[in-house]
Amino acid sequence: MAIIDARTLPDASPLEADMVIIGGGLAGITLARELAGGPLKVIVLESGGLEIEPETQALYAGSCVQKADGAKDRPLDSYPAQSRIRALGGSGHVWGGKCGPLDPADFAERPWIPYSGWPVTRAQMQDYYDRACDLLEIDRFPLEWPTPTDQALQPLALDDEDGFFPAPRVFTRISGRTDKPAFDRFRTQFAEAPNITVYLYANVIRIRREGDVVTGLDVACLDGKRHTAKAARYVLATGGIENVRLLLASENLGNRHDLVGRFFQGHLTYSNDSDTQREGSTFAASRAAPLDLYATAQRFEPHCVIGAGLPAQKRMKTGNFTATLFRANFSNADATVGADTQTLAKTATKLDQGQEQSNLLGFFAMTEHFPNPDSRITLDPSQRDALGMPRVRLTWVHGRKDHEDLERSIDGLANALGASGEGRLCWSLRRDELLAVSSASRHHMGTTRMHRDPRQGVVDSNGRLHEARNLYVAGSSVFPTSGIVNPTLTILALTLRLADHLKSEKKAA
Amino acid sequence: MSTRRDLLTALIALAAAPGLGVVAAPFSDLDRDAVRRIGQAWRDSHPGATSRTLSARLFPTGRGPEALPALRAAVAADFRAGRLFVHRGWRLSDTEGALFALLAMEA
Ligand SMILES: Cc1cc2nc3c(=O)[nH]c(=O)nc-3n(C[C@H](O)[C@H](O)[C@H](O)COP(=O)(O)OP(=O)(O)OC[C@H]3O[C@@H](n4cnc5c(N)ncnc54)[C@H](O)[C@@H]3O)c2cc1C
Repeated sequence: MAIIDARTLPDASPLEADMVIIGGGLAGITLARELAGGPLKVIVLESGGLEIEPETQALYAGSCVQKADGAKDRPLDSYPAQSRIRALGGSGHVWGGKCGPLDPADFAERPWIPYSGWPVTRAQMQDYYDRACDLLEIDRFPLEWPTPTDQALQPLALDDEDGFFPAPRVFTRISGRTDKPAFDRFRTQFAEAPNITVYLYANVIRIRREGDVVTGLDVACLDGKRHTAKAARYVLATGGIENVRLLLASENLGNRHDLVGRFFQGHLTYSNDSDTQREGSTFAASRAAPLDLYATAQRFEPHCVIGAGLPAQKRMKTGNFTATLFRANFSNADATVGADTQTLAKTATKLDQGQEQSNLLGFFAMTEHFPNPDSRITLDPSQRDALGMPRVRLTWVHGRKDHEDLERSIDGLANALGASGEGRLCWSLRRDELLAVSSASRHHMGTTRMHRDPRQGVVDSNGRLHEARNLYVAGSSVFPTSGIVNPTLTILALTLRLADHLKSEKKAA
Repeated sequence: MSTRRDLLTALIALAAAPGLGVVAAPFSDLDRDAVRRIGQAWRDSHPGATSRTLSARLFPTGRGPEALPALRAAVAADFRAGRLFVHRGWRLSDTEGALFALLAMEA
C-alpha cells in the first residue's frame, strides 16, 4: 500500500494489522514479499529510512570482545555497529551477495559436537532453497552438484573416502553494493501491494505481553514521537544481534531457560602471509592445469571451495571446514623462503603426477564455530542509546575445541591432498596466533536457537518463540549451528518456510 | 573424485611413462641450496640417517622405472598414516623429507 515515514504520523498513533514484521532487512522483506497481495494486512516496522544515516546507525553501537583459548583478548568494540546496516534493506545495502546452501552435514546431529542438529534436514529445505535462489536471481543448488564437463573446471581428484568435496558458491546481484536499482526494487516494490504498509524510522523498543501472548509493541522515532503497534501475530526480524537485544529488553521475553543471547556463532577467516621464517597459507597444486573451478580469474564469479562433508567430519571428529583458494602472486621478503616453496612444490608435482609445472595458490580456512553457551550477547544497562535502549555487549568466544578443530581439519585436508597426489598444503600459524590473524565475518548466528525442546531452544522448529504463541523469529539467530557457508541464503530459505507456515496457520484458523 | 583404485591405475600409467626411467633425473633440476636446506631440516630430526640407509629405504630395488611409482606410493602411505615432515609450515610426507636429505647428500 505504501512506505510511510513514521515521524509524519500524529504522536501516539495506534498502528494495527493482522501481522507486524519487526525489521525490514532481507529476512523481513522476504517475508513481506511472500505475504504481499494476500489476505493478511501486514505492517513492516523498520528502524531506518531508505538510505544509511549516521543517527540511526548509531543505535547499533555496543561493545564486543573476542576471546580464544590461550590468546590475548581482542577488543572489537566497533563490531556491533559496523557489521550491519540499519535502513530499509538492512545489511543487504552492503553485503557481498555470496550465496550457498548449508551442507547436509550442517543439519545433522553429530554426536561429537555438543548442541548440534537441526529440527529440519537439508533435503527438507531443498524447495525453500530453490525459492530463495529464485528470489535472489541465482542458479539453484541441487542436492547433488553435477560435475562440470569443462577441463579447466575439473574438481580435485580427492579420494572419496576422505570426504572432502567441492562446495559451490555464487554471487547475487541483489545487493546495494552490486546492483542498486535491482536491490531497490527488491526492497520497495512489495510495498505497492494493497495489504502491505512499511513504516520507516519506526524503532520497536519494547514487546509487550500478557502470559504467553504478545499484546503489542512500543514504537519510537528519533524525533521523539511514540506510537504503538498491535496485531494477531508478530515476526521479529531485526538481525542476529538485535533480535536478542529486543527480547532481553522486553523483560527477558523468551529467556525462561537462560538461552536468549547465548550460543553466539560468527565465522572467522584464517590465513597468513609469508614472513622471513615461513611461507604463508599456500596450496601447491600438483596439476599444471589452472584450478578455475576453485580460483576464478575475477572476484565475484561462481566457484567452489573445498568443503569437509559428513564423512570427513566423522573421521576427523571435526565440524564443517572450508578452504577457499585464490590466485596470488608469491613474493617473499626472504628469497630462501620462496626458493624452498618452489622446490617443494616442484618435487611434489614430479612425485604426484610426473609433471614439471606446479600451480601455487593462496587459501584461507574457515571452520564452523561450535555452539558455546559462553559465547553470548548480554545487555549493558549502564549504556543506553538515544531511544533509551540498553546497548549490547558481545562476548565472542572461541574455545579450545574450535582451534583444535581447525588444526585437525587443516591436517586432514593436507593429508588428503598428499595421499591423492593432488598437492601440498602450507599452514604455518601457531595456536596462539590464530585469533590475532583471523578476520571476523559479519554473520551473527545462534542466539535464539531453534529446538523442539524449550529447554534447549528459544524458538520451536517453525521459528515460533516457545514462550509466546504469537511471536516468531526470522533470521540467522535461529540457526542451531553455524555451518560455514555465508548465512543469508539460508536466512531467506527459512523465512520462506516460515511464510508457508504462517499462511497455513491462518488457513487452519 | 577418484578412488584408491583410480590412483593405482594412475600410478601404473606413471610407471610406464617415458622419460622417468632413472629416478635421479627428474630431480636434477631442483634448486640445490633449497634442497640442502630442506634436506638438512629433515636430517636435524633424523641424525642417524646416512646416504646408504636412505637409498635403501627410498630405492630398495634400484632406481629404475619402477622406483617413482614406489616412491609415490610411499608418499601416499605416509600421508595416510600421518607420517609428516613439516618444513616452514609445509605438510610433506616423511618420504619426501628423506628424499630431500638423500638428494642433498648426493649433490
Ligand atoms: C559488509 C557485509 C558483507 C556481507 N556479505 C555477506 C555475503 O556475502 N553473504 C552472506 O550470506 N551474508 C553476508 N553478510 C551478512 C548479511 O548481510 C546478513 O546475513 C543479512 O543481511 C541478514 O539479514 P536480516 O534481515 O536477518 O538482518 P539485517 O540485515 O540486520 O536487517 C535487520 C533490519 O531490522 C531493522 N531493525 C533493527 N532493529 C530494529 C528495531 N528495534 N525496530 C525496527 N527495526 C529494526 C534494521 O534497520 C534492519 O533493516 C554481510 C554483511 C555485511 C555487513
